[in-house]
Amino acid sequence: MSAPTFAPARPAPAAGPLTAAGLADRVARVAAVAAEHLERTDRDASFPLEALEEMRRSGLLGLLVPESHGGLGGSTDDVVTAGIALGRADMSVAMIFVMHCQQVAAVVRYGNQRLRDELLPEIAGGRMYLASVTTEAGKGGHLLSSESALAAREGELLLDRFAPIVTGGEYADGFLVTMQSPPPSSPNQVSLVYAHRDQLTVERSGDWQPLGMRASHSVALRLTGTVPAHQVVGEHGAFRTIVTTVFGPMAHLGWSACWLGTAAGALSRVVKLLRSPQSRGRVDLDSELLLTRLSRARQRIDTVHALLDRARQVVATADDLSVPRVQLLLNALKITAADECYRAVDDLVDAAGMRHGYLKDSPTRLEHSLRDLRSAALNYSNDRLHLVDGKLALLDAEVRLA
Amino acid sequence: MDARFTELLTPFLKFLGEQEITPDTSLRELGLDSMQAIELLFAIEDAFGVTLPDDDMNDDTFATAGSLWTVVRAALDARYAADEAQVTAA
Repeated sequence: MSAPTFAPARPAPAAGPLTAAGLADRVARVAAVAAEHLERTDRDASFPLEALEEMRRSGLLGLLVPESHGGLGGSTDDVVTAGIALGRADMSVAMIFVMHCQQVAAVVRYGNQRLRDELLPEIAGGRMYLASVTTEAGKGGHLLSSESALAAREGELLLDRFAPIVTGGEYADGFLVTMQSPPPSSPNQVSLVYAHRDQLTVERSGDWQPLGMRASHSVALRLTGTVPAHQVVGEHGAFRTIVTTVFGPMAHLGWSACWLGTAAGALSRVVKLLRSPQSRGRVDLDSELLLTRLSRARQRIDTVHALLDRARQVVATADDLSVPRVQLLLNALKITAADECYRAVDDLVDAAGMRHGYLKDSPTRLEHSLRDLRSAALNYSNDRLHLVDGKLALLDAEVRLA
Repeated sequence: MDARFTELLTPFLKFLGEQEITPDTSLRELGLDSMQAIELLFAIEDAFGVTLPDDDMNDDTFATAGSLWTVVRAALDARYAADEAQVTAA
């Protein structure tokens, strides 16, 4: 890829521990590039290559890579902070980033020494953007099973996997793929395998023309190839543990952060418009309907923020994330963030009216935010999570709160 | 492990096939999913007359036949101790 010319050259980030300002500066650079290109990437449903390039250059792709492997040594909290900030600019870019971080977290925690030594410096150097391959035709988004069997042959693993939705899959440098563990015995025995792009034949099928999240470019891919045996992340069959300890919490915290950021960004743009000199005298700021709608939107955003912050603390401190009360809290975060962030922006559409609530060219960008946020309830379906939560609630007769 | 216990587990393990249930048998890998945990608990309560503590409702407990049996066994022991205490008091 040629070096982009849209951002001023900056010195390489200074070594040393990551500071809040250092993180904020890097995130702001990515957000600025995302904002510059979002109209085109949304219109054309094209991947935000310029924002990805800035993630590479700023070191942000290596946010979760330990300093010992050349990364920024950041934490889950930093991913949440970055997700909110990027979500304010562009939800597709934010989701691409947090999902990459989710993959990196799995490699950092469960990759064997050889895989970590091979991968982590590449990620830290900005040379590796990772995509997740967990979707599978016919399993309805069920994460913990796979019908595609991985074959083992003399120190090698043979992959042949079709996935209907792979965010950023056409541009990823590597993939973490769920497959049925070898030898095939049960679809519930699932392994997570790393595959580098040049170890695979990647065939795309179909088009990507969604309502929102258009820049996430989540296409259908068929991956075939052979990888060395050490590229299994954790042991064979360990995917369930990876989901409970890393994938699940990172997904729900990261996604919720992006959605919260998108809703907060939308409210901010509406309030700035209402307070702008050109609105003076044209908007009745004593309108009870307007005030109530603004209040409701703000209330929804603060509710999600509080829940996100609590879930973040629990994930950082709980001994066992598999107990019902913790699972229920994490699922409640995802469900609530998906519903409330969407509704907050929907409230704002009513508050702003036809011109600034509904038209594409309004500086509020509510139309774009609303389309993007409509995906939140479908992205690991709220309906499915409610069924799981109903069963989990039955397991906690005392109703002990996390 | 009690024969009643392995018999009770069998219908939850749709990928068990001809294998025998041993303490190392992985419940998740052989088909138990989180949606069935409550049904399995009911089956245990009906068969053994014990209620498993809420604190044990975690992934470690449901990992293998052996880990689940350990928790059932502890609940049974606690019940026997309570029954004996009642008999002694009477």
